[in-house]
Amino acid sequence: MVSEKPEGQGCLINKVIANGLCVRCGACVGLCPYFNYYNGEVVVIDQCHSDNSRCLQLCPLAEYEATTPLYQTKVKEAPDIAIGTLHEIFLARARDRELRAKGQYGGAVSALLIYALENGLIKGAVMTDKGDDLAPKGMLVRNRDQVIACSGSRYSGSAALSELNMCLKTGMDQLGVVGLPCQMEALARMRRMIPNGVAISQRIALKIGLFCTWAIDYRGFSTLLNTRGIDIKAEGYDIPPPPADVFRVKNKTGHDDFSLSDIRPLIQKGCSLCQDMTAQWADISIGTAEEKPGWNTIIVRTSVGAEIIRKALADNFLERDHFSKKGLDHLNAAAANKRLKGIKAKRDLDRSHQ
Amino acid sequence: MTIIIKKKESLELLQGNEAIARGALEGGVRFCSGYPGNPSSEIIDTLAKAAHSLSIYVEWSVNEKVALEAATAASFAGLRSIVCMKQNGVNVVSDFLTNLTLSGTKGGIVLVSCDDPSGISSTNEEDARPFATLTDIPLLEPATPQEALEMTRWAVELSEEIQNVVMLRSVSRLSHTRSNVHMKNLPDFNTKACFDISTAFHTFPVVDKHKARDAKLVKASQIFEESPFNRYVGHSRPELLVITSGCASNYVVDAVGILGLKDRVGILKLGTTSPLPVKLLTRYLSTCNRILFAEEIDPFLEKEIKSLAGDLAKEIGLKEFMGKASGHIPSCGELSPGHLMEVLGNLFNISWKKDEYREKISGLIKDAIPPREFGFCPGCPHRGSYYAIKLALAWDNRQGFVSGDIGCYTLGIWPTGFNQVKSVHAMGSGLGLACGYGKLDQFGFDQPVITVCGDSTFYHSGLPAMVNATFNQADVLLLILDNSATAMTGFQPHPGCGKTAMGNVTDVVDMEGLCRSMGAEVMVADPYEMEKTAEIIYGLLQKRGQRVLILRRKCALVQGREGGFPYKVEIDQDLCLGEECGCNRYCTRIFRCSGLVWDNQVGKACIDKIICVGCGICVDICPQGAINKTIK
Repeated sequence: MVSEKPEGQGCLINKVIANGLCVRCGACVGLCPYFNYYNGEVVVIDQCHSDNSRCLQLCPLAEYEATTPLYQTKVKEAPDIAIGTLHEIFLARARDRELRAKGQYGGAVSALLIYALENGLIKGAVMTDKGDDLAPKGMLVRNRDQVIACSGSRYSGSAALSELNMCLKTGMDQLGVVGLPCQMEALARMRRMIPNGVAISQRIALKIGLFCTWAIDYRGFSTLLNTRGIDIKAEGYDIPPPPADVFRVKNKTGHDDFSLSDIRPLIQKGCSLCQDMTAQWADISIGTAEEKPGWNTIIVRTSVGAEIIRKALADNFLERDHFSKKGLDHLNAAAANKRLKGIKAKRDLDRSHQ
Repeated sequence: MTIIIKKKESLELLQGNEAIARGALEGGVRFCSGYPGNPSSEIIDTLAKAAHSLSIYVEWSVNEKVALEAATAASFAGLRSIVCMKQNGVNVVSDFLTNLTLSGTKGGIVLVSCDDPSGISSTNEEDARPFATLTDIPLLEPATPQEALEMTRWAVELSEEIQNVVMLRSVSRLSHTRSNVHMKNLPDFNTKACFDISTAFHTFPVVDKHKARDAKLVKASQIFEESPFNRYVGHSRPELLVITSGCASNYVVDAVGILGLKDRVGILKLGTTSPLPVKLLTRYLSTCNRILFAEEIDPFLEKEIKSLAGDLAKEIGLKEFMGKASGHIPSCGELSPGHLMEVLGNLFNISWKKDEYREKISGLIKDAIPPREFGFCPGCPHRGSYYAIKLALAWDNRQGFVSGDIGCYTLGIWPTGFNQVKSVHAMGSGLGLACGYGKLDQFGFDQPVITVCGDSTFYHSGLPAMVNATFNQADVLLLILDNSATAMTGFQPHPGCGKTAMGNVTDVVDMEGLCRSMGAEVMVADPYEMEKTAEIIYGLLQKRGQRVLILRRKCALVQGREGGFPYKVEIDQDLCLGEECGCNRYCTRIFRCSGLVWDNQVGKACIDKIICVGCGICVDICPQGAINKTIK
């Protein structure tokens, strides 16, 4: 245990880092020299002993009450369901074939970002790169090629918000962010950050959240790949729908499949506490469309999200399809399942700490 | 040039170590060797300066054992020699010494050990005197620079007379004190070095050689009975007899004088402390029944004389002994006149402490002396090395740690080195320990270990451990902190420097080549490039086998002498975050270069323009980019 001040970094270290709960969202990294992200791991360089630590205010794991409303969204259509408040939900894919080929499923994230960048809705966006000799990490993208270079899912915590923090520090505004539910929650917390939380949040113009059931520990995964003699530099990852029960690592020449039972032990401990599968705190949440391969599910949550979706559809960047009632039930059940598991895990953890 | 080369008699202000050097020259020493180590270093440094004009030979050897071996060769060839080291060095020479003292010597040979009470610049406060009794050689303890000169001169002759090594023990306070010393004429020695092949030096037959060594000691003991270095001052029947030696004897004289006890306390100051002059001691022990021992570090005389008093009990009667064993004298740490005044004041019921005066002094100095901690010099490459290590071990996140070694970089145990070093013992031991850690994986050990070792330390005793790592296939990551000098002891050259003690140009012993030849993966980096170096260390931590990273950058003090540093460093206080979240004094609280100071008035960091040398590495650690460097 490190010395702890109630609002300080020590509290974050004791609660989250020391308990192995960090999900590598990166919200605490880049604010100061005391945290670093390196090769898939968020590490403490030293203790800052501050009374007021922004890292603690931003950390989605420092408090577990993910269900507490952090801020109200304007709800157009709000079924009381586990996928959260929303304006609308539909299926979509990129019109551009290259984006569909290189993106995850229908390439909708890439298409929306490129649209937003090319139409001046955002000046830049923070995405996650593919990693080189080291783990994937956050990257500021400003054009189509850079977006494509970062397209596809990573399935590991890669602290992309550290790059956002660096961008904010240099005074950038009109930023887009693509991230996991935990990262969207950190951005929601940013509004309450002291000092200047509201003003800083306003410099983020678009938040695209990704559906997520869990992410794996990069270093553990890299060790697994090494023991199988596989180069860590993968082109992409996927979990094909059941009954495949595999985790697929794509490379230039093909792919390697791992049984999910080998992968599950590598799931980040903090992910088990997560109650949010569909990134409730995003402007737009995007994930797979299980009923229609090659398409994405799109959940529009805010007026900001609705406006950009409207424009992208109008300008023919996205192709739209109807989201079935069956699909909604299925997605909602999966989200509810994650929420229940998260609540139970939190209860167990609280008990173990008593 | 040094004044000790004056051929003629004169009175000069000499440091204790310079006096020892002059004593060696007056004793006809022609061959001098040693390994640097405070407080002994100036003896060889001084002799090296005299080498060319006096045609003597002086070397910094690769370690103390080799130094004694080299000096012994001169002795076997009939020359007079001196070998100098700090107390730890005597441990290193001890293997050779225990055998050499059996074989005996020819030309006079003096082994000087400068001990360091309180460990002011050492890892311990070992008392080297027991090595004299362990190896049955005479031991001399000077108390003043004058005596240091005279004893050294005499030690050479004594050694030649008894045909064995003579040990001379100094302490920090004597080695580094200065006083007027009367130098005598330098002799003209032109002995040709020659090994007489009708003789041989070895330890066989062991028992016979042991007997012969004992006989030499008996002879020395007889000579000591008449030695002018053993002096008594005081009443013929004192109330208390203080038996003392070395520097402590000066403190006794001071204390007795200040307390006005000259007529009541007798002081027997011994200069020849082993073997004991039995007759002399019998005489003085008989004068008084209360005896106090005052000596530095171990109760060496105390134990020997108490034992002797047992033997002499019938003759001298029952005695009351006071010293370290009784708790009258502190059992560790350097002594001072204050200690002796305390003891004598209590024994004689003399009140001498003036609390009023103490309070006045502490009131005056209260805020004038800032709290200080051990710290690397501004511009020191070790700060960059440890910062890179800190980053790499944090990034690695497997509870890694540093196995440390002896040098300035020992300070890595403290905040100046970010507390990275978790063990420090003896020269070369960091790598030896790493060899062990590198074989613990079969017992579940999964923490990465970095070992750091200075350039000079690497040659001194890191090499055998490196060979061991390769031989036993231990996973080791050695960082050689190469600052191109034996920096801590005063920039003495070592095998990697291309220059000898006498200033002669020599071949550089190639550190990279050596490590490569032992099968290690070798890389070189600049400790000033902290982040880049951290990345290299991180990469090496992920590998196995024998890995060596040489962190090469000149000692900041050497760089300072050779033209200084290029930058003017300034802090933009408008950008500095100070104590706000995002920094909270990272530069002054964590990085801690003494050139970075906290400006209390504005609550921001600033540069101490007097202290900052302009290395500019702190520019890279400021989260705000508030530290700027410009070319001077």
